[in-house]
Amino acid sequence: MLNHKKVNIFLLIIGIIIFIFLPHFVSGYWVRVITTIFMYAVISQGINLMSGYMGYLPFGNAMFFGVGAYITAIGMSKGLSFLAVLPLAALTAILVSILFGLPVLRLRGHYFAIATIGMSGALLSVVQNATEITGGAMGTTLPIIDKSPEVTYNYFYLAMLALMVITTLTIYLIIKSKFGFGIRSIKANEEAANSMGINTTYHKVIAWAISALFTSIAGALYAYWMSFIGPDEVFDIMIAVNTIVIMLIGGAGSILGPIIGAFVISLLSEVVWSTFLEYHLAVLGITIIIIVFFVPKGITGAIADFVKKRELRLRKKVSV
Amino acid sequence: MEENNIILTIKSLSKYFGALKAVDEVSFEVKRGEILGLIGPNGAGKTTITNVVTGTYPKTSGSIIFEDTDISNLKPYQIARKGLTRTFQVVKPLIGMTVEENVLVGSLYGRDKRNTDMKNASKRAREIIKLVGLESKKDSLVSDITLPDLKKMEFARVLAMEPEVLFLDEVMAGLNPAEVEEASILVKRVRREKELTIVYIEHIMKAVMGISDRIVVLHHGRKIVEGTPQEVVNNSAVIEAYLGKRYAREVNNEG
Repeated sequence: MLNHKKVNIFLLIIGIIIFIFLPHFVSGYWVRVITTIFMYAVISQGINLMSGYMGYLPFGNAMFFGVGAYITAIGMSKGLSFLAVLPLAALTAILVSILFGLPVLRLRGHYFAIATIGMSGALLSVVQNATEITGGAMGTTLPIIDKSPEVTYNYFYLAMLALMVITTLTIYLIIKSKFGFGIRSIKANEEAANSMGINTTYHKVIAWAISALFTSIAGALYAYWMSFIGPDEVFDIMIAVNTIVIMLIGGAGSILGPIIGAFVISLLSEVVWSTFLEYHLAVLGITIIIIVFFVPKGITGAIADFVKKRELRLRKKVSV
Repeated sequence: MEENNIILTIKSLSKYFGALKAVDEVSFEVKRGEILGLIGPNGAGKTTITNVVTGTYPKTSGSIIFEDTDISNLKPYQIARKGLTRTFQVVKPLIGMTVEENVLVGSLYGRDKRNTDMKNASKRAREIIKLVGLESKKDSLVSDITLPDLKKMEFARVLAMEPEVLFLDEVMAGLNPAEVEEASILVKRVRREKELTIVYIEHIMKAVMGISDRIVVLHHGRKIVEGTPQEVVNNSAVIEAYLGKRYAREVNNEG
């Protein structure tokens, strides 16, 4: 058992090392594509914690991405350094999640999902109209890093990779902890969880704050990376929709699901986009429907089922 | 001395759903260490009392004193942490988790002021799984086990919370006579070992009579009788309301 664990950790470290050196072997275009994949994996991981593990689908999670991006943009335009503004962005997102979470997390199922969309829309409206602070619907610029584009892109690639690894590790540790059992119980049966001594409100609010924390850091990095952001772009509900699809395809409630999903969906979309330029959204949509239809538990779920079935078959053979 | 023996006092407790008086001015006391049977025909208000006492429903009026504090305005998780817990009439397993993980959640949370780090909690969960005889199923998903095993799992889960008072809401429902017998023996044994106080809500008369020290009978949301099993079955009001004359005769003949 311990050996098995050691092998897994070894494989993960090898994987991370390969990704660290990958930019030296691929074109700048692919470096940017993979940076985006890391970013989607982080956002999807935040949704996985809320939905895959706790059963609350946060359709409005893009608002934390937007908050992270805008606080970074505003702070840096006032002359703060990125590292100084980053904690500020994260803290603001956490505050927003707690403020919104306390009333909205009383709702269950679809009602919660819809309420978060409303909040995301409300925040977008505020950002669009507070022209003096945010630059309004025109968007806002950030200082550009004074280095060659190649160096800059590698820098963001590594930062996003680090964020993905830290996010995944943190959520893994949370899930294995007492708190993790608490939120998994909420997904399984909230009433039973409550009667077992689990403070469900506290668990839900904290889980959403953790989700907001990582999503907002992804937003902050994105803003600095792009050096120009617009409200429609960073508060776009499609950010949440895409990362929900990524979680479902990869495997909801599985720690590697969002990462695998992000790679599969993004690479699939690259292939589809380059082959069917005009119909790529339609083809991509149908492909996703087919995947969900045949692999409802996502890729990691299908692999787990396959391994389980094989083990059962082997056991039967042995007993015969 | 007498006062100290009372662990739970329910005083003029009422719960109305609109015009329906599901529980109407019910008062009774639960003594430390006893098994109190709570019986009554369908709709008598047994489960509603459980739901109000454990905080699932807010009360309409009255008070619930548990170890000198009024718990009638607390939330379910707060009441559970004080050491008063319940099982559900319709089992509520944590789907997607194994039997051991279900019991582990009870062990991790549950009553306050216990050592609840992962290692201790796992150890306690495994001990209790052994106690109720579910060891062979501990790694099965709860969606893969039978109803009797689910009930055992739920019993193990509340035991892992280390409560002082336990409301067992129709734990025998859906079990066949042999399984009822087995479950009764288990409940009695566990009560002795863990020094539990149990409020036992039941439909199956034979199980209640055999297991309870005292019985409270409810009818239409009101308490009609309170006493030993013998007193209760011989009481004319109970016979009229619930048991029927034939059952009373049988008991009398046996006695």
